[in-house]
Amino acid sequence: MQAEEGKTTESLQMEMLLDVLPKESATDPTGQRLAKLITRISNKRVPVSSFSRIWTLGSLNARVTAGYFAYWLRSRFSDADKKQRLKSEAHLAAALKLFGTMGYLRGAVMKIGQMLANLPEVVPEEFAEVLSALHFEAPPMHYAMVREVFLDEFGREPEEVFASFDRQAFAAASLGQVHRARLKSGEEVAVKIQYPGIARTIKADLRNLRLLLQPLCLTTDWQNTLDKLADIEQMLLMETDYEQEASFGKEARLLFTAADRVVVPQVFDDYCTKRVLTTEYLAGCHLDEYLAGNPTQEDRDHFTNLLTVGTFRIYYRLHWFLADPHPGNFIFMTDGRLGMIDFGCTRAMTDEEWLLICELERATLELDEARFNRATAKACLFDGPEEMEPERLEIVRRGVYWNMEPWLKDGRLFDFGDREFFMRGVDSLMEMTRKRYTRGSPLYLWSNRFVFGGRAICYRMKGRCEFRKIHQQESAWLRHEPVRS
Amino acid sequence: MRISEQAKQETRVRILEKAAELFIDKGFEDSTTRDIALAAGLAAGTMFNYFPSKETMAMTMVNEAFRQGMEDFQRRRTGEEDLTEELFLFIASGLRRLQPLRPFLGPVLERSLSPFPRKTVCQEGEAARAGHLDAVQEIIVRHGFTEAPDYVAMNMYWSLYLGILAYWTNDPSPNQEETRALIDYSLRFFVQVISGVWSDKGETHAG
Repeated sequence: MQAEEGKTTESLQMEMLLDVLPKESATDPTGQRLAKLITRISNKRVPVSSFSRIWTLGSLNARVTAGYFAYWLRSRFSDADKKQRLKSEAHLAAALKLFGTMGYLRGAVMKIGQMLANLPEVVPEEFAEVLSALHFEAPPMHYAMVREVFLDEFGREPEEVFASFDRQAFAAASLGQVHRARLKSGEEVAVKIQYPGIARTIKADLRNLRLLLQPLCLTTDWQNTLDKLADIEQMLLMETDYEQEASFGKEARLLFTAADRVVVPQVFDDYCTKRVLTTEYLAGCHLDEYLAGNPTQEDRDHFTNLLTVGTFRIYYRLHWFLADPHPGNFIFMTDGRLGMIDFGCTRAMTDEEWLLICELERATLELDEARFNRATAKACLFDGPEEMEPERLEIVRRGVYWNMEPWLKDGRLFDFGDREFFMRGVDSLMEMTRKRYTRGSPLYLWSNRFVFGGRAICYRMKGRCEFRKIHQQESAWLRHEPVRS
Repeated sequence: MRISEQAKQETRVRILEKAAELFIDKGFEDSTTRDIALAAGLAAGTMFNYFPSKETMAMTMVNEAFRQGMEDFQRRRTGEEDLTEELFLFIASGLRRLQPLRPFLGPVLERSLSPFPRKTVCQEGEAARAGHLDAVQEIIVRHGFTEAPDYVAMNMYWSLYLGILAYWTNDPSPNQEETRALIDYSLRFFVQVISGVWSDKGETHAG
């Protein structure tokens, strides 16, 4: 106690910070360098370098949220009795500043935060509310701005293009906002409009992020981190191309019949450009509203089934990950169908990647440990399992087994609402992150989000489904060439 | 031979049309008044009766575009816009009319709208500036302010607007969408200043 009093606040803060930061065993074993970087940032004003900075973490809501996220993140790295101390603001401020420099990339950070919000046991309940309200906010567009976009994209005002057009957006999208409208031919549509110039912001902010991380770069895994950042950048930029998204949506729609009760909304090509996406409006609600209606177990199971069928069909027939499976992308329709929207963040696998994943799947199902280890090593970009640290191999294996668990479990129904199962998945992911065993093909960034995100939704739904049956049904399409229409 | 008013008007229009074509084709700097006179089928001396310089020609085009932009703005206004939105509509309408002239506008605007003191003041530039600022003041007053903002605020506004114009003339993005974002940010910033409302987005030093 005495020794502590003798220390200055600053050195106490540094100590606490050092304590909780992840350590890079090769170049920064004590975490000193990272701590210095964060302290340096927290003591300076970060210059405004990209446009989106004026929105400095958006609203107060977002700032508070980012702070909680930072707190949560650190608290995962420390033990229980330090949690209280961690609530002190000094490091929250540092983390805020750090996230603040990321401009658009905080969109990616925000998405992670959002994902965490969908893992309700992971984040204390009171934070989850706040976190889930947080999604990347492109600055809101007033109607005058929307009109300008229309004049550029269609040469006409919105009211000339559509029979009717709501001036107020009814939903935010990660890069813009969505308005309801009606076509002259009568269909009710959702019109997604992108905020002008956002692609450049993405590039600028990711460049800043790379620079920011530079001092920590001399690690064996830096190249891997760079590859991942490049992949993230690719994906974010892809999201700015609505024509690409329209094309994904159209392909996905063809996979489902009316009997499937899963629907991907129709795309109206005549009203689509790179910056404007017009799709069929699906009437229904999102997860929160759905759950607030106290649905029966039967109903929850029904939707869990549909969600599994929907995501699996796309996965097996097109070899795609829906890399952003958050609640906003699913519509619980009033007629009992499940709507799947927003294909902006779709990761298509290469044939090579698909083969490896199939290999992993098969090795697991056949309980062939040697084969499983080989596939796992390959996924982590090692030549063989013998090249991996035993702990790394073990921890990664645990993660992969968790992914595959619903395949392996006996019984007709798999209960995604099972808390123990879910928490094991979370712990496994956190352990991998904490120990820095995250090296791997960038593909796994997306596959993890896909699996995790999807299961988190099902967990919140407390839903069960006939997993093995669905798997058999959908993987009957298993072949090396994805089906293209 | 006496020239009728109508004939004079037609000549004016023809000169401007040819000048615009040349400016776009060869650039403003490299087009000469001789070229323009030739293209318009006039003697150089005659042409100078209509326009003393090519700067005047260019700025006449600019002012005409701004006038049309103003008309568009009046027509497009719904009365439901808030201040930021209305200012945005005003600026955007003007730029849209200015669009066909964009390829050669950089040097023109630099000369005519430069805020730095010059030996010869460009009348048309002054007219453009005054007209724009008057319109902006009118818009602001319409939104519940007790009086028009003072010269400091209007100076700030004009700097922002010049910045927007400068960026726009060189904006390589499709449809100059980045300028649109810049206009948005600039106006939100300006409106915050004159409203005296600082949102919590202010960057105060923590701790």
